[in-house]
Amino acid sequence: MIEVTGLTRTYGGFTAVDDVTFTCEPGRVTGFLGPNGAGKSTTMRVMVGLTPPTRGRVTIGGHLYRDLPNPGRHVGVLLDAGAQHAGRTGREILTLGARSMMLPRSRVDEMLHTVSLTDDEAGRRVRDYSLGMKQRLGIAHALLGDPEVLVLDEPANGLDPAGIRWMRDLLKGYARRGGTVLLSSHLLNEVELVADEMILIGRGRIVAQGDKQSLLAGAHHGEATTIVSALDPTALATALRACGLDPTPEGNGFKVAATTAEVGRAALEHLVVLTELRNGAAGLEDLFLELTSDTQRETAGAAA
Amino acid sequence: MTTTDDHQTSAPTGAGQLPRTIDVTDDQRVPFARLVAVETRKSFDTRAGRWLTISIVGLVLVVVGVGVFAFPDDAQDYVSLLGVTGGVLGYFLPILMIMLVTSEWSQRTGLNTFTLEPRRTRVIGAKITAGLGLAVVVLALGAAIAAVGVLLSPANGGEAVWNLGYNEVQNFSLSSLIGVLVGFALAMLLRSSPVAIVVYFVYTFILPGVVAALGALVDGFDKVAPWIEFNTAQTPLFTGDYRATGEEWAQIAVTGLIWLVVPFVLGLWRLVRAEVK
Repeated sequence: MIEVTGLTRTYGGFTAVDDVTFTCEPGRVTGFLGPNGAGKSTTMRVMVGLTPPTRGRVTIGGHLYRDLPNPGRHVGVLLDAGAQHAGRTGREILTLGARSMMLPRSRVDEMLHTVSLTDDEAGRRVRDYSLGMKQRLGIAHALLGDPEVLVLDEPANGLDPAGIRWMRDLLKGYARRGGTVLLSSHLLNEVELVADEMILIGRGRIVAQGDKQSLLAGAHHGEATTIVSALDPTALATALRACGLDPTPEGNGFKVAATTAEVGRAALEHLVVLTELRNGAAGLEDLFLELTSDTQRETAGAAA
Repeated sequence: MTTTDDHQTSAPTGAGQLPRTIDVTDDQRVPFARLVAVETRKSFDTRAGRWLTISIVGLVLVVVGVGVFAFPDDAQDYVSLLGVTGGVLGYFLPILMIMLVTSEWSQRTGLNTFTLEPRRTRVIGAKITAGLGLAVVVLALGAAIAAVGVLLSPANGGEAVWNLGYNEVQNFSLSSLIGVLVGFALAMLLRSSPVAIVVYFVYTFILPGVVAALGALVDGFDKVAPWIEFNTAQTPLFTGDYRATGEEWAQIAVTGLIWLVVPFVLGLWRLVRAEVK
């Protein structure tokens, strides 16, 4: 379990991470989502002791990272798959890791197998790796010590669609077995499918957190929106008004501030034939853009 | 009609039973010897690293060969050959040492190294130990090559003079040790391979020349120089009878404080606090 409390990191006058507090629970995948430069990587570097915090603290399983005697055995870290000596082979990088954690050498082959790097690929120098292969190697390195906690910064970056699916299954399985996973991304789609819990960060501050449902509900202040159309639009409008709802024309039908069930019941009571009935709430992407709009560009925030 | 939603949001997939703390009572730190072994391995597990060491030894072979076959007969004794060997190693061993530190930044491997061992002073200690070990092995190899050179010297009219005394061994070892430690201090301070290497060469090549020139131009500067310039202070170790007087040792200590101890402490202080990116 990762517990971030009041974390702040400033660089001169610039505040990269601003009073950030969140928790990553065991058995769950937590997605750390935000545009580039939002403070995700800085937060993760503080977690594993590479960047000293200005204020606040992070504990992993109740310990400060630097107090873990052999941290690689408990926390698997991948911050940048490209941060490897280009002249080393993949196998050598894992061997250095295994030796640094006092693991048997057999662990290297196990991990190569886990991430589907062949013997031939493992023997190549990292200089000749594709970004996807580097990510796989980085995942292998993070998993070497059989840790309880994974901290992964943009792990899906550079993976092909099959690779992304593989990573998703791997992380889900890992969490199902009781592991804690924190992964960051600036791409919503990557996180949405795998994360049980999401933390949205923009300009160093957490703008929203929770699971997908509660985030969406929160974005519309708990108000549901339904898109509905019928064979006879006039009859539908009358039916909705009769049930105390207020339809506004949208496309072929109406937009109603109610749940699909409420709208469906209204149509049923007045025997209106519906041709379309769906949840009209904005997707997570709209929410993400809305919440972080002021960090993208000022005009977008003003327009919204 | 929000029961399904509520059910989904509150289902913690069994999170309640999972341990929220990590038990480290049975954990042991990675032994220091293992860290040293890993750091030593890092010097050789890339082509560039292997060839740097091989090139240094190769250069010693060349220089000793030139010494045996081109030096005048009376300069083919062991101390002379060891002197040129020491000269070569004095310039290049510190580069080995610098790379041990700076590659963690230039290749960004520090992300791995310092997450696996967050106590950075242990990593630094392991690097110094590995670097000194490497330096000692290369120095021994250099001494052996020089010895072979002495054996070969009769082929060119020499007399195979084994004139090595305690002072010579002590002085060669001391100056090599100083050289690699200055390199290490600069590497910690600057954390960039090219910058650290250039600064090291300025310190070891250019600075003594500038000091000598100043000594010639400015009255009395030659009296001050040994107290402020490390290379100048070490000169008595290699000239005359290879013996330093009490005052000369004092000069080595004072300049050592300026050029070795202060940069080393400052470098270590910076490195322990630096952000690893």
